[in-house]
Amino acid sequence: MKTKKILSIALAAAMTLSLGVVSSTVFADEIVINYPTFQVGSNSAAPVVAELVDEFNEIYAGQYKIVVEDVPGDQNYADKIKVQITSGQLPPVCYGAGYKLLDMALGADLVVDITDAVNADPDWAAMFDENWEAVDCRDGKIYAASSESEKIGYFYNKELYEQAGIEPATTWDEFFANCEALKEAGITPIAMDTADGAWCTQLLLGAMIATSGDEGLEFMKSMYPTDYSIQPVVDAITRIQEFYTNYTTMDANGGAYENAANNFFSGNVAMICNGPWMIGDFSDTSKAPEGFADKVGVAIFPGGFVYDSPIEGMFVTKQDDPALEEAAIAMVKFFTSADAQQKALEMQGMVPAAKTVEITDAAKESFPLLADFIDQAAGASVSTATFTGGMVPGLEDLWSTELPNLASGAYTPEELCQILTDFATENAVTE
Amino acid sequence: MRKKERKWIVLFLLPVCLLFVVFFAVPLGMVFVQSLFDYRLLPNKFEFIGFGNYAKLFLRDPKFLPVLKNTLLWILIHCIGHVALGSALAFVLYKKPRGWKFVRVVYMIPNIISQSAIAMIFVNMYNPQFGAVNQFLKAIGLEKLMHNWLFDMSTAFPAITMTWFLFAGYTTTLVLAQCLSTDETVIEAARVDGASGFQIDRLVMFPLVKEMIGTTVIMAATYMLQMFSMIYITTGGGPGSATTNLPLYLYSNMKSNNYGYASTIGVVIIIVGFLTMRIIQRIFGMNKEEVA
Repeated sequence: MKTKKILSIALAAAMTLSLGVVSSTVFADEIVINYPTFQVGSNSAAPVVAELVDEFNEIYAGQYKIVVEDVPGDQNYADKIKVQITSGQLPPVCYGAGYKLLDMALGADLVVDITDAVNADPDWAAMFDENWEAVDCRDGKIYAASSESEKIGYFYNKELYEQAGIEPATTWDEFFANCEALKEAGITPIAMDTADGAWCTQLLLGAMIATSGDEGLEFMKSMYPTDYSIQPVVDAITRIQEFYTNYTTMDANGGAYENAANNFFSGNVAMICNGPWMIGDFSDTSKAPEGFADKVGVAIFPGGFVYDSPIEGMFVTKQDDPALEEAAIAMVKFFTSADAQQKALEMQGMVPAAKTVEITDAAKESFPLLADFIDQAAGASVSTATFTGGMVPGLEDLWSTELPNLASGAYTPEELCQILTDFATENAVTE
Repeated sequence: MRKKERKWIVLFLLPVCLLFVVFFAVPLGMVFVQSLFDYRLLPNKFEFIGFGNYAKLFLRDPKFLPVLKNTLLWILIHCIGHVALGSALAFVLYKKPRGWKFVRVVYMIPNIISQSAIAMIFVNMYNPQFGAVNQFLKAIGLEKLMHNWLFDMSTAFPAITMTWFLFAGYTTTLVLAQCLSTDETVIEAARVDGASGFQIDRLVMFPLVKEMIGTTVIMAATYMLQMFSMIYITTGGGPGSATTNLPLYLYSNMKSNNYGYASTIGVVIIIVGFLTMRIIQRIFGMNKEEVA
């Protein structure tokens, strides 16, 4: 009995001691950055993020450590961060993505101003051009840093184009003529959608608005516009209605991006508007037929237009511990550095946010379609962010639920524009 | 002795009451309080506006009345049509015709499949391009009737309704169980008195299972009041607000960061739910002992 007691006391002491030793070796002085992210699992950026996390943890071993928290699904991530904004407790580093999270966090006074940190590093500061500033800066202060750019044109099926005897259009009249030629050849011209923000459709719409003239361009460049009843928008939506009626598939009304993409992959349609992140899918035989990648061409929109805007980047949030904020700034700097952007380009074909990042031959070889697109995009004369990207919160959902009525003819373009205007006015975001 | 008993009763009820207060009553109160504020994240606002949200909802929101109408109509359709369908089948099955057990099991299957899976099945069935419904119409030469079922204003509501209307397995199971537990001598006595099969169902069996049918009606009403995923996955509430119900409208306002307004809709859902329950209880004469 006595021996047992002694043994148990000795064991307990040994365990306590080992716990102390372990915690001192693992945690002493090392600052842990908990990083919830949706860029995990099947997300196309997951391999890049995983590698960057490993590299960061290696470089800063003993000083900082990133612990990734998987939040599959970007919408789930945005919802999680929104809830955390209301509670005033954000993780040290957040990724704005396309959800206007930066403005929400700024509204709750939870974001760290990183202007001084950026200016202290000339290489980092050099990345902040006019486009980047519009996305990541407010009132002359830098609050976020981007790593990826939203550079978007459209893809076309070269085989179907050849059958219809057409070439990529340089003007909208030519574009319509191409659609008519494809239709006459028995080919459905373009993939469209209405669900989930109508991603492909809104790209086509935004391009038409931006190239319609100064008023349209100004509209597309403005954040949170409230008047959707201006002539360029009404005219473009009228054309979108024509597309729904004459130039797209039957399942476009009610369909999501996935339906549109499937129609393109299966050769049901000749064109789809989307970004370079789709390029990998063309050679993925679980999504597209063998050899499909060779049939795909890429073009910028008529009127020399291309969507070109950095995706709202990573931002550092206010923490009780200033050392944790420092660690978070180091992480943002590392993740948005030229090296990190180069890696993302070469690994996954992600377009760098910074114009200072060189498109290497290795990247061009791995992603020739991307290289072709980047070359064409360099010659674009007009560029803006996307149509839905500038909408006030909630309007994208309304747009998506009301669009089927435009597609079916239940609404006139003017009626749809009025509905958008009413909602945007009611929920206006004033800076 | 009674005092001692009371102590134990209080002791056993305490944990449940505490859980109810912490996890239900307090959040419910918070929802009501929040509904009195203009509470948004972008622009960041938390302003007391009294019953401003309620005034906007009932007087100035053009979407609210159609959404409320959809919700009430679905409750009505579900409580009447769906329960009638399930009960009618139970009334057939309790007579134990050949294969009744097989039918009972098979009819229950759709109710044990996840709503998301059912929704995806219907999304594909209704697909205007490749869906089974349009292909069938085409095959029998009725191309004129082909529609974009889920996204045409005239067909969206009935198309969504059909995704859950026919699957009354729970109602059938509960009513059938009640029918089967009825004393057979009562039925036998009615038969000896010369009652026909229909008369036995109407005058003997129905009054005996009326309360259970009332319970299934309450279940049907709450099911409809909570309905979300099926609509969200199929139409997202569109086209326009043709298939939006109150929970979906609450969610879309929450997504717009309009938390105060979303809470107001939450309060309305609670009130609609409470009133619906009271009406059903009254119609089916439930909780009579409590009233007495």
